[in-house]
Amino acid sequence: MAEKIIAYRFDRLDQTLSQLNNENCVIIAGGTDVMVLHKSRRGVPPKIPKPIVFIDHLSELKRVYQNDKDLHIGACCTYSELLEDPFIPSPLKDAIKTIAAPAIRNRGTLGGNICNASPAGDTLPLLYIYNAKLLLRSVKGDRIVAISDFIQGPRRVQRDHNEILAEIILPSILEGGSHVVFEKVGNRNADAIAKVGFAGYIRLNGARIDDVRFAFGAVGPTMVRSMDIEKKLLGKTVPLAAADIAQIVAAFDKIIKPIDDQRSTALYRKTVALNLLRYFLSMKQYQPN
Amino acid sequence: MDLKDISTSVPRKDHKGKVSGQLAYISDVKVENMVYGVLYRSPIAYGKIISIQLPNLPEGYEAVGAEDIPGPNYVKIIKEDQPIFANDWVNYIGEPILMLVGGDLNILYSLLDEVKIELEEHQAIYTLDKAIKQKSVPGVNMASYEFGESLEIISAIELKAHQIIEEEYDTGYQEHVYLEPQGMLAIYKEDEIVVQGSMQCLYYIKNALLSALACGDDDVRVVQSPTGGGFGGKEDYPSMMACHVAVAAKAVKKSVMLVFDRSEDMVVTTKRHPAKLKYRTAIDKDGNILSMCVEIFLDGGANVGLSSVVLQRALINSAGVYKIPHFHSKGYVLKTNTVPNGAFRGFGAPQSFAGIESHIGHLSKLANIDPIEYKRKYLVKQGDPTITKGNFRDPILMEEMIEDLLNASDYKKKKVEFQTFNQQNQRYKKGIGTSLFLHGCGFTGSGERDHIKATVKLVKSKDGKVILKISNSDMGQGIYTTLSKIVAKELDILYEKVLYPDPDTKEVPDSGPTVASRTTMIVGKLLQRAAKKLKDQWQSGVEQEVVEHYVHREMIPWDEKTFTGDAYPAYSWGVNIVEVEVDTLTGNLKLEKVYANYEVGKVIDDRVMKGQIDGGLAQGLAYGYLEKMTSREGKIQQKSISDYGPPTSLDVVTIQSKVFDNPYADGPYGAKGAGELTLIGGAPAVQAAIEDALQTSFQQIPITPEVIIESLWMREGEEG
Repeated sequence: MAEKIIAYRFDRLDQTLSQLNNENCVIIAGGTDVMVLHKSRRGVPPKIPKPIVFIDHLSELKRVYQNDKDLHIGACCTYSELLEDPFIPSPLKDAIKTIAAPAIRNRGTLGGNICNASPAGDTLPLLYIYNAKLLLRSVKGDRIVAISDFIQGPRRVQRDHNEILAEIILPSILEGGSHVVFEKVGNRNADAIAKVGFAGYIRLNGARIDDVRFAFGAVGPTMVRSMDIEKKLLGKTVPLAAADIAQIVAAFDKIIKPIDDQRSTALYRKTVALNLLRYFLSMKQYQPN
Repeated sequence: MDLKDISTSVPRKDHKGKVSGQLAYISDVKVENMVYGVLYRSPIAYGKIISIQLPNLPEGYEAVGAEDIPGPNYVKIIKEDQPIFANDWVNYIGEPILMLVGGDLNILYSLLDEVKIELEEHQAIYTLDKAIKQKSVPGVNMASYEFGESLEIISAIELKAHQIIEEEYDTGYQEHVYLEPQGMLAIYKEDEIVVQGSMQCLYYIKNALLSALACGDDDVRVVQSPTGGGFGGKEDYPSMMACHVAVAAKAVKKSVMLVFDRSEDMVVTTKRHPAKLKYRTAIDKDGNILSMCVEIFLDGGANVGLSSVVLQRALINSAGVYKIPHFHSKGYVLKTNTVPNGAFRGFGAPQSFAGIESHIGHLSKLANIDPIEYKRKYLVKQGDPTITKGNFRDPILMEEMIEDLLNASDYKKKKVEFQTFNQQNQRYKKGIGTSLFLHGCGFTGSGERDHIKATVKLVKSKDGKVILKISNSDMGQGIYTTLSKIVAKELDILYEKVLYPDPDTKEVPDSGPTVASRTTMIVGKLLQRAAKKLKDQWQSGVEQEVVEHYVHREMIPWDEKTFTGDAYPAYSWGVNIVEVEVDTLTGNLKLEKVYANYEVGKVIDDRVMKGQIDGGLAQGLAYGYLEKMTSREGKIQQKSISDYGPPTSLDVVTIQSKVFDNPYADGPYGAKGAGELTLIGGAPAVQAAIEDALQTSFQQIPITPEVIIESLWMREGEEG
């Protein structure tokens, strides 16, 4: 006999939040990570230790809208929905296209990718360099937290059990004027877990660097980003001098500490991460995208 | 059947069931009084079992082990070295020790966790390199052969040579990744055990069961279920699973189902043998080959299984498609305490072709001649002897196929264009590479005559339907369609009137295993002859039956001891050209264009052949750069498809292929083998293209991004 599982699927977000306030539950948006995490061997259903709350259908969590220059993305928007949405910046769409395959993209959500907090989460490097802020909602109200504070380690996030990630806010993104690149390095072109992820952001005033950001995925327990290193480039002009590039690369060389595993080697991950960084820094010009 | 040309495609016989998802595979089957089996496996790579302590088993749950086997405790393949249930020594991690059976898988899995075993661990051999060093230790060398020019003559040539070139080349594991994992069901009846499952070789399984159950011919029966891919992975391995379920069914008097999930399948089933190939070639000052010695080491894993036969094919192909003066070859299968390696599409040939194509490519660089032109100088021609003193007696169209493909791909122009591109582009580098290859069709030597002795039967019903009675499996490769088509065409009846039910050893004679690119050529020919006979005696309204037996082609007799004679009755041929773009920042590879010409005698169905070409090449290309499996201290590291990384539709490009006609007298409508051939050229062509792009040499496959980045890094170090 299959064991009984309690599952909730409320019509509205407020009902969902009050249930979460009463009971510690596992939240399922798309389920593409939760179902894999709790998978049993063949012929036995997944063993999920807590009651389940489905949130994938809640329209309150599926809106994409502009608020001043900020972009708000509902946490339960599926990847496929985001690919169709005119507000979503093209580098983020490019990143989404590298995730899994169409079937997973039809189920998986942006909020899920964040809350799963995988070291190899495909959208995370970009969200880090967009300075994404997360809107968490509970019966007690809303709070906003930076993505880099929210994600604490592999599969560890700063979410209270009565909270739902409601929105991802990309501040000032609609101002434009920045050049953003994203590169996912996987073992194949679909259904691959990243061996290295890289996102670079640069905003120029003429030839002078006003703002620059980098994030690396799959080379540590969480995304690697360093404001201290980024600051060293502020005010410099492009094309950057070889010495400046070398200084930045050397600084990241010190803090990127990948591991060997069944998918790749530490040496490869580090070399490629630094190659992608060096390439980004060596570009002769940056077109806003 | 009114087809002007047999090659014209018809709808596949299995099409509807498969595309509608209605076809029931073995894991979909449930029978009365059925229980599940789960295997308790060795946690260590090498050691002696001291004791096993079972948990208290609830009612309806039982343990089955070596003591329940009525016959001898080994899986009958070739040698008696593979226990059904290990009860004394264990030789690899994952080796089956016992089976727990019962009604609920959930309970079975928790019982498995409670089994306690005491072992005396011994020093294991984990790698092929280690095994090579310990080759002379008893038990390590499981099989070896040597043949060719005498070493004294070669030494004399080497003394006078301008230069001796030595290379060492490594090939990795390859996993079959059949869509349907392995599964087997034993249906218990009082007077009979029926074993049903996913398989390629019904009579291999039946023979293994007759031995394990020590029973009479009528006490056991083997039925093939719809089989979702085999690639050789369901040639040898299912015999062991069949023994497990049959022994268990007999012991517990219930039907027993054993199905692996993907991760279990990936870590415990057979793989393609990792290999090390050594080349020692004497050249003159212009780079011409004076003599060549090849040494091949195959990692057999923990049991010899089919490895000796795999080694034979690797050796027979060790000179590739070339006529090399003064050629000597030698090879070994060595034991390691890792998962046993076994049959895989190509059967030893892919390792050899990857190695020889790589070596010849490197020699061409030394001679400063374009690889394809250098290779053409040594290409075998009709009437040439083979390296085993056999004969290439049929016409060889390779020159024509090469010329055609060079034109189709615009090879010479691309070479120039890519050079310019590579000078201008810092990040991406393009390259183009070729491979030339062949595949011997059917069993090695006189195997078809002496061991297989295939028999086929056709039964005509009163209402004019004709039923194929053969023991060959359609595993997705399309023989339901092609063999039915041969019979329909020969009898000149509707294709729909020809039936080919799932083979059942109670109903069908032994037409041999579904392996070795033999089915269309050998079984197809027998069926054609049977159909011709039936047509001559055709009487409306009555049931009729005809039987045909294998007839051997006149050849130079094969002698396994001296390794001489005609190794195969016929050969199929191929040429591949591959264009790649390498990202020098990440080492990632993009296949840009793939061109392929083949010669398989005569195509029986264009679309089925195209399926073999596209699938075989995808698998062969991936063997060269994409699919990577590693073993660490006896444990397979990649347990999921995404970690292992076989190509997806986004990794493969449209394959531009053409098949040349060259009808073979002993094949149906001139057909030879095609299934394995299409894989063989992929890896060497992709390697050559990568080398062309990066202007460097590699000594291994797969050439993964990790290998590329390391090579670029080393080069930077040298230059800097």
